[in-house]
Amino acid sequence: MAAKEEEPYEEGGGDGMDGGVGVKDGKKVVVVPHRHDGVFIAKGEEYALCTKSMVVGESVYGENLLTVQNEDGTKVEYRVWDPFLSKLAGAIIEDVDDLWIVPGAHVLYLGAASGTTVSHVSDIVGPMGVVYAVELSYWSGSNLVNMAEKRTNVIPIIEDAWHPSKYRMLVGMVDVIFSDIDHPDQVRILAMNASYFLKNEGHFVISIKANHIDSTAPAEQVYYREIKKLYAEQFKPAEKVDLEALEIDHAFIFGGYRMPKKPMRKKRRPVT
Amino acid sequence: MLVLFETPAGFALFKVLDEGKLSNVEDLWKEFATSESARKVVKLKAFSKFENTTEALSAATLLIDSKPSKGLRKFLRTHCDGETLAVADSKLGNAIKEKLKIDCLHNNAVMELMRGLRNQLTELISGLATQDLAPMSLGLSHSLSRYKLKFSPDKVDTMIIQAIGLLDDLDKELNTYAMRVREWYGWHFPELAKIVQDNIQYAKAVKLMGNRVNAVDLDFSEVLSEEVEAELKEAAVISMGTEISDLDLVNIKCLCDQVLALSEYRAQLYDYLRSRMNTIAPNLTALVGELVGARLIAHGGSLLNLAKQPGSTVQILGAEKALFRALKTKHATPKYGLIFHASLIGQAAPKLKGKISRSLAAKTALAIRYDALGDSTDSSMGLENRAKLEARLRVLEGRELGRSAGSTKGKPKIEVYDKDRKKGAGALITPAKTYNSSADLLLGQATTPEQALSRKRKHEEVEPEPAKETLDAPVQEGSEKKEKKKKKKNKTETNADDATDEAGEPEKKKKKKKAESSSSELPKQDETSVPENEQEPGTKEKKKKKRRHAEAEEPSANVEEQEAETKSKKKEKKKEKKGE
Repeated sequence: MAAKEEEPYEEGGGDGMDGGVGVKDGKKVVVVPHRHDGVFIAKGEEYALCTKSMVVGESVYGENLLTVQNEDGTKVEYRVWDPFLSKLAGAIIEDVDDLWIVPGAHVLYLGAASGTTVSHVSDIVGPMGVVYAVELSYWSGSNLVNMAEKRTNVIPIIEDAWHPSKYRMLVGMVDVIFSDIDHPDQVRILAMNASYFLKNEGHFVISIKANHIDSTAPAEQVYYREIKKLYAEQFKPAEKVDLEALEIDHAFIFGGYRMPKKPMRKKRRPVT
Repeated sequence: MLVLFETPAGFALFKVLDEGKLSNVEDLWKEFATSESARKVVKLKAFSKFENTTEALSAATLLIDSKPSKGLRKFLRTHCDGETLAVADSKLGNAIKEKLKIDCLHNNAVMELMRGLRNQLTELISGLATQDLAPMSLGLSHSLSRYKLKFSPDKVDTMIIQAIGLLDDLDKELNTYAMRVREWYGWHFPELAKIVQDNIQYAKAVKLMGNRVNAVDLDFSEVLSEEVEAELKEAAVISMGTEISDLDLVNIKCLCDQVLALSEYRAQLYDYLRSRMNTIAPNLTALVGELVGARLIAHGGSLLNLAKQPGSTVQILGAEKALFRALKTKHATPKYGLIFHASLIGQAAPKLKGKISRSLAAKTALAIRYDALGDSTDSSMGLENRAKLEARLRVLEGRELGRSAGSTKGKPKIEVYDKDRKKGAGALITPAKTYNSSADLLLGQATTPEQALSRKRKHEEVEPEPAKETLDAPVQEGSEKKEKKKKKKNKTETNADDATDEAGEPEKKKKKKKAESSSSELPKQDETSVPENEQEPGTKEKKKKKRRHAEAEEPSANVEEQEAETKSKKKEKKKEKKGE
């Protein structure tokens, strides 16, 4: 396996075909692993990101399914991951350095909505990992519960993320918290959840939509403010990924929590 | 100090062995980095397991509201004597303090402690491995979510989909088996197949007689009708079939048993389906019936999916092949799909089926959405809509009738307007049309042509209004009658009249009364012609100034009955009489 695969890319914007991705089953398609564990690239006429399907034959939200035959004859099914529908796929396409969601990880997913991205996270972490999906609304929550019934590594929690004590009975310590709540106080929510459930030297992924935090300020300023808030809450932002090409004024911040203090060797510039 | 820690398996109480360590909050996590060091800080004192998922669910729901459940209270009372209790939720701590008088603690140190505990949970609680915890957590979370989403097992539409699938399967199987019985037994007694048409009767007959020679002696009255029985007995004697052994007969009888059992089960299943449909989608069943409703739901995949479809889709659900073929070849699309089997469409004339199908589909879509997403459990909305649709059907039929009747009476047929067609005398082709008030349709009333005649009449009427009034009272609230004529009539009353008249309505009429002759001759034709005039008056709007006696009873009575349903709009009548 090469150290770094060639960059996958989508056929620009405006790809509005069914599923948004042009790779369909039936055509000749080669699937190679992505640099990140658990993620794959399907190379056909166009390139597409995909994850290995945990529930064979089921299309969760209408995405395309690809079946590929291995050398030893077994069939493997992959589900296409559309970066226009799922921001995490967008971050992967924008070439994030470290995606802490790996096979076997325990992930706490805040803002699970109907479970489209959650299903892909569940594919990545595999049967040994766990995804605790928290979603407040009843309508999306019922879709989430339906999806979770088929996948045993997804634990649906219909609660408000503001009160992590309400679901402390259900959640163990997690390795990663993924937060996709569009709320001006989302850093606060993330911090509360982390203090309950995120292990030391764990990681976080937070999606920031500049408009939702402050619609008057320019996006870069909003990001800067959020990063400062993160520093204040024992988080250590390590990387900012701008989803410029896919969604306007959207950024992801990856980082660590309660990281051990490294001895100061040389002055590093904080993330801006 | 004790620490209360909640797990999906149960409640755990830990004893803090070294309280000194708690003061150093920053480094507390180091203590829990490995299981050995963790065991030095805390020790499991007691563990209260949940007996089953229901208990876990109730405990969890109470915990969400920061209330201690009974099991928790008991657990704490037993084990938590005189020590402070560290809890993760300060509100819960307050509640425990109130109820159990145990001092509770909640601060940063406690939170760190909780983190450590959570990290090392499986190590600290012997007998609880990671693989046990995960499915318990999963089960509890699903129960909690279902509880939160107010999941009700009554409203599961999966049952319907499976039941209707099974019903179709059963029908197929039943048919196959019944055919097999006929074929098999036909080897021995071929004539029976033609004599007994019904499958169930055939199976019962075969079961009863076995070998055909027994047929003559047996009584088939519960199974077959008399003539058929007679035919059977006749044919049994002269049958051309071969003999078969008892072993073969035993097997054939077994198959007959199967057939009968299946048909019984099918009847049971049908009842089950009907009761479920009435619970899950009462409005849909009120509109289209149980079977059609169940098929629609099964076709749509789920009630919710079906609710997302527009009325036009509901109309042609089930006719997709015809629809897409027509769309591709630019032909006319089908007018109805599964909905064709609804009783409303069956009632309609062939020409009107298309229109009714469209209206029915629109109302059905509304009913489906109401059932899927609304809160009520009765079928009032469906019944209302059904009544509206039936009224519409009547109107459509009435129009059809009118149109066809017009041409047979010799009036010129009104042609379809075509803007491009050049016409001769354009506007003069058809006779002038006046407003026909009898075409007004109000729910609950039928129209009669006599009303049209009652418009401008200036006769006196003799009427036993009271009789009419009793009949017309509900109809006539709005009508006003003014009497212009001044005629008096005397009316003779009959007891019958009085009885009917005095049915207890207060009559108020404006009258200028005259004594009215009680003879029926005079008013006779008047009555027939002016029945309504008289009759309406019965309403309360009329003020009665003078009482009149008697009215011609028979004619009026008859007329009244005829006119019972008419309503008059104007009244020229001057007096009303009311029998006493």
